[in-house]
Amino acid sequence: MSATLFRTRSLRWRLLRWVTLTTIVIWSLAAALSYHQARAEVQELMDGQIAKMARLLLAQIHEDTAYLKRLPENMASLRGTKSRRSELPLEFQIGYADGTVLVRSPKAPGTPLTRSLGYANVEHEGKPWRSLMLETADGRYRVQVAHSFQTRDREALEIATKTVLPLALLLPLMIALLYFAIRRGLKPLDELADDVASRSPDNLATLQPATELLETRPLVSSLNRLLSRLATTLDNERRFTADAAHELRTPLAALKVQAQVALATRDPEESRHAMAQVLAGADRSTRLVEQLLRLARLDPLVQLPDPQPIDLADLAYTTIENARDAASAKQQKLTLSAPESGPQISGDPDLLAVVLRNLVDNALRYTPAGGHISVSTGLEHGTPFMAVTDNGPGAPEKDLPRLGNRFYRSSEAGGEGSGLGLAIVGRIAELHGARLHLSNGSQGGFTARIDWQVLPPAP
Amino acid sequence: MRVLLVEDDPLLGDGIRAGLKLADYAVDWVQDGDAARLALLSHDYDACVLDLGLPKKDGLAVLKDLRSRGKTLPVLILTARDTNADKIAGLDAGADDYLTKPFDLGELQARMRALIRRAAGAATPVLTHAGVSLDPAGKRVTKDGQPLQLSAREYALLLDLMTNRNQLRTRSQLEESLNAWGEEKESNTVEVYIHHLRKKLGTDFIRTVRGLGYQLGDAP
Repeated sequence: MSATLFRTRSLRWRLLRWVTLTTIVIWSLAAALSYHQARAEVQELMDGQIAKMARLLLAQIHEDTAYLKRLPENMASLRGTKSRRSELPLEFQIGYADGTVLVRSPKAPGTPLTRSLGYANVEHEGKPWRSLMLETADGRYRVQVAHSFQTRDREALEIATKTVLPLALLLPLMIALLYFAIRRGLKPLDELADDVASRSPDNLATLQPATELLETRPLVSSLNRLLSRLATTLDNERRFTADAAHELRTPLAALKVQAQVALATRDPEESRHAMAQVLAGADRSTRLVEQLLRLARLDPLVQLPDPQPIDLADLAYTTIENARDAASAKQQKLTLSAPESGPQISGDPDLLAVVLRNLVDNALRYTPAGGHISVSTGLEHGTPFMAVTDNGPGAPEKDLPRLGNRFYRSSEAGGEGSGLGLAIVGRIAELHGARLHLSNGSQGGFTARIDWQVLPPAP
Repeated sequence: MRVLLVEDDPLLGDGIRAGLKLADYAVDWVQDGDAARLALLSHDYDACVLDLGLPKKDGLAVLKDLRSRGKTLPVLILTARDTNADKIAGLDAGADDYLTKPFDLGELQARMRALIRRAAGAATPVLTHAGVSLDPAGKRVTKDGQPLQLSAREYALLLDLMTNRNQLRTRSQLEESLNAWGEEKESNTVEVYIHHLRKKLGTDFIRTVRGLGYQLGDAP
């Protein structure tokens, strides 16, 4: 829980953590570097001091060895005065070039004076020392001056610490300042989050952040795209509900009024008529509800659940046979035009039957008595199609693009249809990778055509 | 009383027509906006029931057109929308009342009575003249407190005359009031019913304006 909280909750803390970590690493590297530099510097300095001391001692040398032997004591007595901390504890030995030691300071390393001249790193009492061996011009005497590396390192560390310590002390302040800086830098993000969070669920207006950052722009624009998509969906949903309510209320009103007429009238003939109308109204409401349910079930589908191989010619034939009675009741001619073996497609036979039935029903309804309705199917340019053509009055040209919309009814259409039939057809076509095209014939008449856009995979 | 019903839904239209007929209105029913406009141009109606969603010409357009021609007949609009926008637009376009689908037939009849009554300038629901009272809601007629039996057509004629009590009603107006389209009777129908009414209400109750029509007689 706290881990997720830490991970998801605060970009600010993440940033602070990483910035601080980076700072500390860089700072540590800088400290190590300055220590090393200081050490090299101190080395240089010390070597110079050793050399100076060695030369001084060389200058002191003369035949009076007793004087020489007193040298450490003299120096020790000098040590009684308050010495500076930076004064180096130097040890030395003086002797002949053959290695005989004449005098040495108490802690001086016992390096044989026969060693080679110049600087050397020697070991004394298990610790590393720096030493310088010099000899007089005549080569008789030799002087070795040495001091412990430990002192040198302490010195270097001290110098380095002096440089780095203030930085270390300022670290908490830096972190605090960083926190505020990050907070301030992320303020536009906070504002954005607040804007989104404080919205009421039905406020789908686009986001307009006060400060637009390069980094937030993609987020804001994708959010806005999402919002506008949502708004469209919600709008459609609302319109659909309102339209559905409208379409359901009219048959309900009819049912109610007819039932009340049936109850109120004293004329048995009129009562019977009204009751028959009630039944018709109930049938119509049932049809409407079924269509609404069908659409509601089709809406969430992304693809057909269980496609099967279908012969479009068979389908057209069955549909026509089922519609024969309705056609002959209006003295309408119903014909099929299809190749012997129709185009094979993969799809849902029940849904495609609904498509053809809806299209044929529409044609029967809007074509006057004695009209001719033709169902055709086949391949065109290698892709399957099916079409229902009538020789009725057609639809007003301006209504054509909207006829497939839900609940849209042509201004010329009568009151019976629900305005859902073509919407259902369009949706089923879409699920089959096909498209519904509506058009008026040049000589009058109306054609509804389903075109498969690409050759469907062979079943 | 002659009423124009404009409703594109066949089932609902049929029901409302039957319901209004039960209340003794002569009902002309048209199913689209164009037909409504033509009917309103060519006939004088006492009221109009207008659905807003109509093919060919929208109900609101029909209403605006009607009002722009100075016609004052009461109009009741029918709407199936949830929103008030339709009702507001309808009332602002000149409708006198509205009903939301589905509605009660009794309420529709009562609202029609009220609309026609107000259009005739009467606020009280019961019409009275020279000792005769007519209650449109209960379809009851009394003379000097005694209930009177009238046939549907006699009642319709009396209602017309009493609603338009200060006006001269021509024979053709009264005929229109009695008959919806397709129901025209022989030309002397009005005279026959006037004769019946006079027998029941007294000769002076209805005055003949020779060559022009009829009017209620002066109250004693």
